[in-house]
Amino acid sequence: MDIDDILAEVDVDATPRETRDLQELTRAWVAERVAPEMMAWPGGLMERVLGRVGRQIELVEDQTGNMDPKTNFRLIVVQTEVERFKFLVRSFLRARLRKIDTHPLHILAKHTESDASHPLLSPAEYQYLTSHQALLAAHYGASFLSQFPNNLQRMDDTTGGISMVDKPDEDAAVLVRVLRDVGEVAVEGTDKKLDMKRGDVWVVRWSAVRGWVGSGDLEII
Amino acid sequence: MALPLPPGLTPPEIAFICEMELVTIIPRQRLEGLELLGGPLKPLNPPQRAPIPLWLALLLKRQRRANIIPPPWLSPHSLAAILKFETKNSPDAFSPPPRLPPLPSSNTVPLSSPFLPSSTADAAADALPYHWLELGTMLLEAAPDDFEDADEVRKLLRGLREARMAKLRQGVEVLDAGGGFKMNGVGGMELGEARSFITGVVDGLRKIGKSKEEARKERDRENGYSPSQDYDDDDMDMR
Repeated sequence: MDIDDILAEVDVDATPRETRDLQELTRAWVAERVAPEMMAWPGGLMERVLGRVGRQIELVEDQTGNMDPKTNFRLIVVQTEVERFKFLVRSFLRARLRKIDTHPLHILAKHTESDASHPLLSPAEYQYLTSHQALLAAHYGASFLSQFPNNLQRMDDTTGGISMVDKPDEDAAVLVRVLRDVGEVAVEGTDKKLDMKRGDVWVVRWSAVRGWVGSGDLEII
Repeated sequence: MALPLPPGLTPPEIAFICEMELVTIIPRQRLEGLELLGGPLKPLNPPQRAPIPLWLALLLKRQRRANIIPPPWLSPHSLAAILKFETKNSPDAFSPPPRLPPLPSSNTVPLSSPFLPSSTADAAADALPYHWLELGTMLLEAAPDDFEDADEVRKLLRGLREARMAKLRQGVEVLDAGGGFKMNGVGGMELGEARSFITGVVDGLRKIGKSKEEARKERDRENGYSPSQDYDDDDMDMR
């Protein structure tokens, strides 16, 4: 993006960067709380938000000793907001952890498939997932798996057309709000063709709309 | 540390989102500008009106540092008109949501509730925004003295809620396995209440009809049809 693009953007959209980041974070949090599948890790957004929260906490700590009632009230406001942000970030991360814990192998496979520039997991989440799985595998191996015949020891067997790896229900119904017109959306296996216009709210299968949620044309509500 | 809550938002979480809505206040005390995490807060100079997030407005109100101006749609007059529309003009669908502002340029994030100014003093008076019920209830609880006729507003909100819940319950008939129906104008808290029922019914019906759908998908692929194309055979007669 060069300077002209940035200027043009400022021109049409006077919403401050911080507010837009809060909008994005709220949206990502709701999506993670509601959608059956995990969304890609919003690296840039989280970096900016966490950086700001850290600086704001430092500011609060610097000024806590100040007993002037005026500054004191300002601090209450700042602190209240910091707590709100901390709740958002925490709930977001915990919702992701829940998905990692429920479908670890499925998510690991998806993460390996995902684009290196937009990974599914953050480095910390990846580390958590792999070390947790390593511990589990060692434990299962030591307690019972090693006593099975060799060909029955795998945890991700797919023989007989049935995969051992659990995955979330990708066809689960979700509610979406249309942010930009996306035109006709077809639901596989049915006759449904949905004409999605900006501002509409639809009940629809997650599998039919996940691409648009990822690209930011639809939002989960 | 994984979240123990099931998918879907809980009522406190919906209220938390609602607290990000902008409302207009009349400050009673000066407050210097602040660099907040969600965007800068302009200095508050009484008696100049200022739009601020609801959580901050409630904080200021509780400490008697400001008065909140209820949004125009939260007046007895507007609510009565909307209630009449809900019951007389549109007995099946919700009243339409407020009109959206023009779309920002394509490279920016489009804003949506709670970041659209749908509850400030200059918001539209003729439509209920997404967080109408939560916002109305919170304002009535924290700032009843800022309303002209709080009891009347309370009564109308209750009437609206009942009229709309009845519609939600009636809407059950259109639920089917494919999903795909519009719920324009639904409110955040109403959705929170009805979500598990709606998604549960749609998912349950889908599981019942799964084998038929799988067979159809396979046929579609074999015939080289895209799944969106019309398909006209015995499948249709069985409805």
